Amino acid sequence: MVHLNEQQLRITRRHFFGRGAQGIGLAALASLFEAHGASPGSGPPHHAASAKRVIFLHQSGGPSQLDLFDYKPVLKKYQGTELPASVRMGQRITGMTSGQSSLPVAASIFRFERRGQSGLWMSELLPYTAKIADDICVIKTVHTEAINHDPAITFIQSGSQQPGRPSMGAWVSYGLGSENQDLPAFVVLISQQNSLNADQPLFSRLWGSGFLPSQYQGVRLRSGKDPVLYLENPPGISKKVRREMLDTLSALNQIHAESFQDPEIETRIAQYEMAYRMQTSVPELTDLSKEPESTFQLYGEDARKPGTYAANCLLARRLVERGVRFVQLYHKGWDQHNDLPRDLALQCKGTDQATAALVLDLKQRGLLKDTLVIWGGEFGRTVYCQGKLTETNYGRDHHPRNFVMWLAGGGVKPGTTIGETDDYSYNIVSDPVHVHDIQATVLHCLGIDHTKLTYKFQGRWFRLTDVEGQVVTKALL
Amino acid sequence: MACLLAWIYALAGCLLGTLATAAPPAGVGDSKTIDFNRDIRPVLSDHCFACHGPDEKKRFAGVRLDTKEGALKVVTPGDAAKSRLFARITHADPARRMPPPAAGKALSQEQIERIKRWIDAGAEYKGHWAYEPPQRPPLPPVQNKRWPRNPIDYFVLARLEREGLSPSPEADRITLLRRLSLDLTGLPPTPAEIDAFLRDKSPDAYEKQVDRLLASPHYGERMAMQWLDLARYADTHGFHIDSHRDMWVWRDWVIRAFNQNMPFDRFTIEQLAGDLLPNASLEQRIASGFNRNHMINYEGGAIPEEYHVEYVADRVETTSTVWMAATMGCARCHDHKYDPFHQAEYYKLFAFFNNVPEKGLDGRDGNAEPFLRLPDEGQKQRLEQLTARLAALEATLAANVVEPEFQKWEKERLKTIDFGGAPQLRQGLVAHFELDGGFTDSSGRYVHGVVLRGEPALVQTPIGRAMEFPTQSHVRLGDMGLRLEEGFTVAAWLMQGHHEPQTVLRQGGVFELWYDASEPLPHLRRGAHLHMETPGRHWRTRERLVQRDHYHIALQVQGGSVLLRVNGEPVPLVELAPEMKTGVRGPLEIGQAEHATPRHGFRGRLADLRIYARALSEGEVRILAFHHRIAHLLAIPTEKRTKEQRETLRDYFLSHEAPEPLRAAYLERKQLQKAKAALEDEIPTTMVMAELEKPRDTHILGRGDYRNKGEKVTPDVPAVLPPLPPGEPRNRLTLARWLVSGQHPLTARVTVNRYWQNYFGLGLVKSSENFGSQGDPPTHPELLDWLATEFVASGWDVKAMQRLIVTSATYRQSSKARPELLERDPENRLLARMSRFRLPAEMVRDQALAVSGLLNRQIGGRSVFPYQPAGIWEEIARGEIFSAQVYKQSSGRDLYRRSMYWFWKRTAPPPSLVTFDAPDREKCVARRSVTNTPLQALVLMNDPTFVEAARVLAERVLDEAGSDPRLRVRHAFRLVTGRNPQPRELRLLETLASKQQAYYASDSEAAAGLLQVGESRPSSRYKPEELAAWTNVASVILNLDEAVSKE
Repeated sequence: MVHLNEQQLRITRRHFFGRGAQGIGLAALASLFEAHGASPGSGPPHHAASAKRVIFLHQSGGPSQLDLFDYKPVLKKYQGTELPASVRMGQRITGMTSGQSSLPVAASIFRFERRGQSGLWMSELLPYTAKIADDICVIKTVHTEAINHDPAITFIQSGSQQPGRPSMGAWVSYGLGSENQDLPAFVVLISQQNSLNADQPLFSRLWGSGFLPSQYQGVRLRSGKDPVLYLENPPGISKKVRREMLDTLSALNQIHAESFQDPEIETRIAQYEMAYRMQTSVPELTDLSKEPESTFQLYGEDARKPGTYAANCLLARRLVERGVRFVQLYHKGWDQHNDLPRDLALQCKGTDQATAALVLDLKQRGLLKDTLVIWGGEFGRTVYCQGKLTETNYGRDHHPRNFVMWLAGGGVKPGTTIGETDDYSYNIVSDPVHVHDIQATVLHCLGIDHTKLTYKFQGRWFRLTDVEGQVVTKALL
Repeated sequence: MACLLAWIYALAGCLLGTLATAAPPAGVGDSKTIDFNRDIRPVLSDHCFACHGPDEKKRFAGVRLDTKEGALKVVTPGDAAKSRLFARITHADPARRMPPPAAGKALSQEQIERIKRWIDAGAEYKGHWAYEPPQRPPLPPVQNKRWPRNPIDYFVLARLEREGLSPSPEADRITLLRRLSLDLTGLPPTPAEIDAFLRDKSPDAYEKQVDRLLASPHYGERMAMQWLDLARYADTHGFHIDSHRDMWVWRDWVIRAFNQNMPFDRFTIEQLAGDLLPNASLEQRIASGFNRNHMINYEGGAIPEEYHVEYVADRVETTSTVWMAATMGCARCHDHKYDPFHQAEYYKLFAFFNNVPEKGLDGRDGNAEPFLRLPDEGQKQRLEQLTARLAALEATLAANVVEPEFQKWEKERLKTIDFGGAPQLRQGLVAHFELDGGFTDSSGRYVHGVVLRGEPALVQTPIGRAMEFPTQSHVRLGDMGLRLEEGFTVAAWLMQGHHEPQTVLRQGGVFELWYDASEPLPHLRRGAHLHMETPGRHWRTRERLVQRDHYHIALQVQGGSVLLRVNGEPVPLVELAPEMKTGVRGPLEIGQAEHATPRHGFRGRLADLRIYARALSEGEVRILAFHHRIAHLLAIPTEKRTKEQRETLRDYFLSHEAPEPLRAAYLERKQLQKAKAALEDEIPTTMVMAELEKPRDTHILGRGDYRNKGEKVTPDVPAVLPPLPPGEPRNRLTLARWLVSGQHPLTARVTVNRYWQNYFGLGLVKSSENFGSQGDPPTHPELLDWLATEFVASGWDVKAMQRLIVTSATYRQSSKARPELLERDPENRLLARMSRFRLPAEMVRDQALAVSGLLNRQIGGRSVFPYQPAGIWEEIARGEIFSAQVYKQSSGRDLYRRSMYWFWKRTAPPPSLVTFDAPDREKCVARRSVTNTPLQALVLMNDPTFVEAARVLAERVLDEAGSDPRLRVRHAFRLVTGRNPQPRELRLLETLASKQQAYYASDSEAAAGLLQVGESRPSSRYKPEELAAWTNVASVILNLDEAVSKE
């Protein structure tokens, strides 16, 4: 277990110290950048890991399962008819449609086709994802309890609908640390150039550390001149000047350490050296100029524009290449309450190629086998129409009872589909997968038993999956 | 060995306060005798209580170990071998051994051994210490009689002597004063203050400093800093939209309360129930806002009841943490697993906080109900004057006077109104597009417009029929033969329909009328400027026009100049640099061709578009601005008019055609109403508690879910705690008084423990947020109880308690760690030295501002917006029309306010403070982590706040220390650390200064670049290379570990 007590800590540290070559320099890493499996406690791995890293492509807003993956041809027959009470079964609905006098069924306007050897149904909106049909495991029966964005996204990211818990990346960073000493273990990317209604906010709690010590929170990698906050020296301070200042600072801190015997001073000296190294390693990471032309053919021209979804997908690959443990990407704009046919098409157009490119790229580089890629939002969308239903237009409200996520790589069984929903894509018929199950599965792939990665706060041992969670073994190799 | 210890300590530092300490830390425990609460209860609690504890529903085999009776059923005192408990924890069959393997809670050999010793020694069972009322212990005897300065020291020393340790010597005076100043005011001492202290040879020199600092108005700020974390204070609502709120008035109350040394019992009662006090004063009602600081939701479609339950739950949990260090939240879904709190008891507490007249979804635009308006004297007077005058006007405009006049006018006016407009308005009319169904020019030339893009449609609007352009539209109307030199007028009704820039009307090579990107305006509105361009000239309106409102605009172009009238009145314009190319002459268009410019189409509404080949008079424009609409409305039969249409007509009548004094009174009323609304906007508000007349029913909620209503409960307190006084009403006031009755076992202990934590880094109970069974036992239980009883006996005198702690010999020790202590007691739980730790986030920044002289010492007031990297809010915010979505950096002195006034947006809190472990303020926090990370180094090196502070500090040093570099180094060092540098330190910094100056002399551009960081302008008294070099010296000093630590 990762229950820490000082005794265990000593043993672990001593063990690690025995191997460490840099002495105190490595001690510093413990604070932000856990090095080479020297995680707190002697916890993970609890079993052999099939994945070393995770890329979570969070599609914020709730992509419509009905228009992308969950093919329901029979709905054409029911078009415009009232959603039967026997299907709704008292499901609470949001304030946005609870006032509607009618909940008419809206069939998807999009064409579906079987894709890949596995014959996975996919709509015409995802021509590129179609090419990786045999690499992904589509789970059609993910379900959640929340029906609004804030609690739903907080739930999928932290295992609790209410704020205050550590995010998934923070748990992983706490449990496993980083493989790279010059980069954070947990990095966050947020797409900036989004053509559509970007009126869904994100919250820093989604990558926060909750009650875990704050060094486990995600570090945002932003587009622009300061990819990590305050990374760049101020104007007029060259690398040489900075080095001179740091040498003086280090010597002064060393003098003070001699008289105070406080190991925190040694740690701080090391952290300044780490900061200095990051000033080189981070720009090198974000500099895409050395990527060959073929990269941009694969990810699309958008990948040249910093801050786009495509550029962030490419960065995600560069991050995992360098051993970053958890890459959390956010892409907004999947909240199609109205004008779904137009807006969902645009949303897919902006993301489909890069999503597929990332999987293909990882595969080509041999990284997919130990990198887990996750695609999905915080809930699905209703079969009934929000607003006016016409032949060419409809909208869909939030739907918690079933939605689609897919996993790829990192020990996941490729070319599989898990779960069946009813004719209305409203209820799960077989193989329900709860949000906590997804979280348990992600940890499982990383070699972590989700019931054993715990942290004591307010007297209770907390975990990502609270008191629930079953590993989705059907999804695993 | 030192390196290994460094390891442990570094890690302990970064996990400060978060390690599991079921057992007392090795080397710290007093291991001679077994103490049930210290040695046994934590083991039983952590390993057994989950199945054999307070939770009735999950209790296995009927065995419970959390009570004496329960334990004695399975324990035979004095004989472990005969005890069923011992048999089961040592059972040979792993499947039958407790705890069961599946629980993953196996006992260690040492723990089993400990339990055996406990049973053999008689199995003394005590109630959990925290629920027994504190007894004032006598001072323990000590050998070293000279060391103690006050009672605290006896307890600390007695323990040290038992451990065979001795206290550390007193810190030197400079260190002491810096420690004391930071602890009591959050700001470092000035060299003058240090000098005064060094000169003072009186025996109570130190105490005089303590009293000076306790009297400082910054003391209240320092004490409030911790309280804001506990109270989850923030300037935004937190959930989803996360728009702004105003609670700074409450924050000011907290600072004031500390500065006035309000006793803690009153401090408690006013914040929990100030509104319920008899004849509650305004201040007391403001104080009650404590429990309105929780997050509030306004997400579209969310279910109000769900969130209402969350607000009340937050109040229960925050109040329990702050006053009782009780983890009540664990009992929301089921009985508490470790502490004696039943689920029903959770909801009984819930019932106290469930009667606020509030909405589940609120906070759309500022504060959520209920809130107070707080006008100052001037505002109050103006408000009274306005209200009185408005009442008088109201009387003049009584319905029985206005209505008959209005009805008469309606009838008569219909007969006289000219539906074609006044005859003179046909003069010079080049084209007239009524836009009430098509694009036909009705002026007589019958030009037909061609829709090139978009789907314009006829709509009914408050100004009559209009053409709506819902999507990017482009309509070609044809060449009107307009010429700049001859002059022309374009008049139309306009509504902006989108927040992006849009072309309204243009004629290539002649003019263009467009609006720019709309920005949020007060009251959730948006608006954009209207721009007018002619070749070589460009103007825009000074004010924004509100999006989705209908305006009549009349643009008159004559030669190079323009005149714009909005709703008949000329409006001020601002001239800008020209953008329009002297383009090719083209036709008159609505919108323009795709990709022509970023604002290529038009979205919005237009009506009654008229083109004149002449200037219009003021009167003519007014007719257009009103006539079109009024004629249209009058034509509608009276009974078919909507309420809005009737209002428009009445407004027109009263504004323009009503007999005096009605018209004058009406216009005055309109103006005063506007003034009153503006005044009300200025008046601050603050959220408060209030009580519904008829209390809401409170039910036990199954699994804590608002949908699972169970048994109904009434307000009460948990049975393990003292009962509420009989006969008192079961309300918040009684609950608050109960907490500070002096009989409560937790309140005083929890409070003094947090004070202790402020000074020593860790509380006597390390888990300052949890005094329950799973919390850490106190290192000095008698001291904790002594302090708690002293606090109550002093009348809850907060300043006296701070004074007591900081005047102790314990506090005055040096923080230099002796090697044997580092090994034996890395966390300094035994207090054989003073703790040395990094300053809280706010102090790191405040100190840099203070030593440079930039600090703005203003106390209280609205929150401010210091330097923050661009985009932090915008990249994740919801945007659009809500408040607190765009970070508008302050300028001038507001940039340099103390960090506690930094506008706290919960979903994106101040990034540099968060880097130094400030919480996001979504939930109550009693203890921050203290980390040591490279990101902190980046902030101190590169954040403009610190770069500017370094430059201004350098200027100060150059101004005050003369030209000798040694004196300069000494002064800078002293300003930051309080002390003089040692020769080695001095040499290093002197060398740095000369090397850097040589470098900047060879690169003047670099020097200039560095000096321009920040809003304040660099001094021109010094050569740039000199100032730049000393800026870097100052920066190095500000980056010292010593500078960001309290020693």
